[in-house]
Amino acid sequence: MKISLNTLDRRLLVAMGLLTFMGLLTIFSAGRGSVSQGHLWIKQGGWMILGFAAMVGVAHMNPARMFRSSAILYALGILSLLAVFAIGRKLGGAQRWIMMGGLTFQPSELMKWLALLFVAHRLGTKPPTEILTWELFGVAGLVFFPMLLVLKQPDLGMAISFLPILLLVPLIRGLKAKWVALGLVAIGLLGVFAWQKVLKPYQKQRVMTFLNPEADLQGKGYQINQSRIAIGAGGFLGKGFTSGTQTQLNFLPVKTTDFVFSVWAEERGFLGVLIALGLFGLLLNRILDIARAARKASEVYFCVGAAGIFALHIFVNVGMVIGILPNKGMVLPFFSAGGSSTISYFLALGVVMGIHRRSLGQ
Amino acid sequence: MDARGRHIILKRLELGKAAAWVMILGLLGAYGWVQLVKRSEMREMADRQAIKTRTSPAPRGLVYDRNGNKLVDNRRALHLVIQAEELPKDPSQIEALAMALQREPADLKRRIQASRQAGGNRMVILQDNLDESGLAQAELLRARFPFLSIEAAPRRVYLGQDLAGHLLGYVGEVDENLMKKVPGKFQLGEIIGKTGLEASHNETLKGVDGERRTVVDHLGREVALRDMVESVPGKSVYLTVDAGLQRVLQEAFGKENGAGVVIDLRDGGILAMYSSPSYDPNIFLNRLTQDQVKEFWQNPVRPMLNRAIQGLYPPGSTFKLLTALAALDKGIVTPSTRFSCSGHKNFYGRDFRCDGVHGSLDLVQAIAVSCDIYFYELGQRLDIDEIHAAAVKYGLADRTGIDLPHESASRVPSREWARKARPKDPKWYAGETISVSIGQGANGVTPLSLARFYAALATRGKLLTPHLLYGMRDEATGKLVTLPPPAVQDSGMDPKHWEVLDQGLSEVVRSGTAKGIALPNLAIAGKTGTSQVTAFVDRSHYAGLAKKLRDNGLFAGYAPHDKPEIAFAVVVENAGFGASSAAPVAKKLCEYWFLQRPVKPLPPPAVKPFSTFQSETEGEMP
Repeated sequence: MKISLNTLDRRLLVAMGLLTFMGLLTIFSAGRGSVSQGHLWIKQGGWMILGFAAMVGVAHMNPARMFRSSAILYALGILSLLAVFAIGRKLGGAQRWIMMGGLTFQPSELMKWLALLFVAHRLGTKPPTEILTWELFGVAGLVFFPMLLVLKQPDLGMAISFLPILLLVPLIRGLKAKWVALGLVAIGLLGVFAWQKVLKPYQKQRVMTFLNPEADLQGKGYQINQSRIAIGAGGFLGKGFTSGTQTQLNFLPVKTTDFVFSVWAEERGFLGVLIALGLFGLLLNRILDIARAARKASEVYFCVGAAGIFALHIFVNVGMVIGILPNKGMVLPFFSAGGSSTISYFLALGVVMGIHRRSLGQ
Repeated sequence: MDARGRHIILKRLELGKAAAWVMILGLLGAYGWVQLVKRSEMREMADRQAIKTRTSPAPRGLVYDRNGNKLVDNRRALHLVIQAEELPKDPSQIEALAMALQREPADLKRRIQASRQAGGNRMVILQDNLDESGLAQAELLRARFPFLSIEAAPRRVYLGQDLAGHLLGYVGEVDENLMKKVPGKFQLGEIIGKTGLEASHNETLKGVDGERRTVVDHLGREVALRDMVESVPGKSVYLTVDAGLQRVLQEAFGKENGAGVVIDLRDGGILAMYSSPSYDPNIFLNRLTQDQVKEFWQNPVRPMLNRAIQGLYPPGSTFKLLTALAALDKGIVTPSTRFSCSGHKNFYGRDFRCDGVHGSLDLVQAIAVSCDIYFYELGQRLDIDEIHAAAVKYGLADRTGIDLPHESASRVPSREWARKARPKDPKWYAGETISVSIGQGANGVTPLSLARFYAALATRGKLLTPHLLYGMRDEATGKLVTLPPPAVQDSGMDPKHWEVLDQGLSEVVRSGTAKGIALPNLAIAGKTGTSQVTAFVDRSHYAGLAKKLRDNGLFAGYAPHDKPEIAFAVVVENAGFGASSAAPVAKKLCEYWFLQRPVKPLPPPAVKPFSTFQSETEGEMP
């Protein structure tokens, strides 16, 4: 097998390449002036190179082989999630990480892709019209099981990012009005249940803050408020690279992960936001185009699930930092710093690129 | 995948793509709203928290005497302050701080709240002018209350201490009442002149405050200096006052209360003005202690009163010159008209007394020996309104217009005055006119306006406007640039009348009541006065001092007699005869001005260090 960039999908490569570059710049700017995060961009660059290599490698593998081993991969993923409870590292009240030779690894990041891979494989074995309803429920169980484990860590944001996999159900069955209504009622009931039983006080606080951000600008609403100020102060052209006062003077909180997009918006302005969101749009568009061209049902399903997961992360993170969605710990692909998530997104894109190669008959 | 299933899925994928773009557009809409529509609002908020502005107070202008001797200087001093952005919110913390500072908690709370509401960039000064022990205490307080800081700021130093306290006045934080009275003019915490020259020439002296903008991070730490507007120091001024003459005047008063004024006859400039007891303005720069409040503000002697412009004294015999002018102008007497004095005389059924039995005398002689009967006779032939009109004409009524705040208007009574001042007994009695004609009764004049009246007598009727501002200091050369003096009016005094009065005043010192102050080589012209402390004249401040109800001694005049250069008025309270109390003060003034000063002027006021700490860190503000 000959490894070559030429055989990869050009449009997907350009979109994700530009986004990666923008993300690295943002991490560089956000980490400036901070002792602990001054070299974060180098580390993140390393993860990006590693992820890129992994992506190219995966893109040159036969997707069929990956689908065939998806059950084993899924089982390994579940084991690693269970391992988190046994040997995981507790940071800030949550047990999400496994230490491996000085690096921390977050199995849940990879797990959602493995779940998607396995589910796509399971559903792809039959034509869509022959899939029985109980089989769909079984597939949903495959998604909910790791989701519950993640929820236990606790990591609500990550757990939610498993949900786009369930988009495959309406893809196969279509959307019927009564199902939508039933779904909304279920979500409502789940919401009430979650508010009373599942949500931790800090999560309730986030929701309250979202509903009324001006209530306590120095306290709970501080993060969102500072983020909005940063974004707004950017204006059309932005304050310039490494020149955003909100970023550089540390008014902006968690600026290398959750609020990384605020840094971009402050320093690059609406123009930068337009470019970034445009590229994200093209990325999603391209993944779905690849789905259209895919030859096998499992390949279509994987692409749709991937697009769903990407879209959810973009929507929740970009919407959260500007205050139209509650403050939920969800990272932004290509921008937020973090080894596990970066590698995972690149691997997923690698699978999508592999599917594209196959559909071209290469 | 069969073709039909595939077709349906392709359609659903198209829907998914559309949904993705709708999501992207929705997010763009939100960002467009915040970044394009709300941009300036957000940028303002970003700047507000990242840029801290601090006001750097401008050093006030210095004050020199007419010879360039420094009277008021600036020093760098350390203050215990709370910066505007660090004002504490917790009431219990403010209370604890007030306790530590031994201040009224409610008072401090109000001050801090007012400062926060004003939203300015000025610090709240808690303790001015820290000395060594104060600094040590302040450091201890800072350990307990981290929002406190110690700042250097220019501070006034009044070099002569109590040499010219009332005249110079002092500075302090603008008070709330004044801020309410003139909205928008002052900023909370601004240092302004409170009284004296500091107040009347505040606009000249104050300068323009500078600003220092720094970039701070989320913890309020300064990261960088953004920009700075240097403060513009206030303009330094030269006064018409001669520090040496002022010193002579101060020393001549000693422990006596009263006031003295010396006017330069060339332009109406005040050469010396002293009110006794005086005060040291340096004291008022700090928060007064209880004892100090009692000593200065609740003292029946009223040391805060500038007696030279606010004390209303019955002029006594010094007023006789005005009665003479009124009578001469009316034509009821001529210089050669004679009256006979037998020691007492009955007017309107009441017996009026004279100090002696003078026999027959003319106007010049009557002035020289200060015969009361002569002027009673004039008073009997004059109406009170005619005397009042003469007082207005020759500048003894009303204010002189000196450039000091709160000048009192001199009062020479009239029928209109009687109606207004005593509505229960508005009628004017002819017998009162007899008292007024020798400067008693309802007469009350300030030493300054008396001096101005004698300046008019010295200059053949010129009405000068007394003033203190001589000129400005040219900052480039350090030289004095004089200002044009205020306009001079002509009262229209008849030269023939003037000649008689001038002769009479000269005789007072040559052979009359004040011959004790005659100098062999300098002819002084003047008039003694001894006035009863009557019901009309500020009796309130003698209420607690019943034993001190002795007469006030006065002396007013000019010198040299043949070519007058200065006019003066001296009032010594409760000191008995003017000839023995006030005239010697005038003599010392003339001796210094004409005889000693040209040869050996007194040294300029020296600074007395007001604490050990200050003298060590001596340094002038740029």
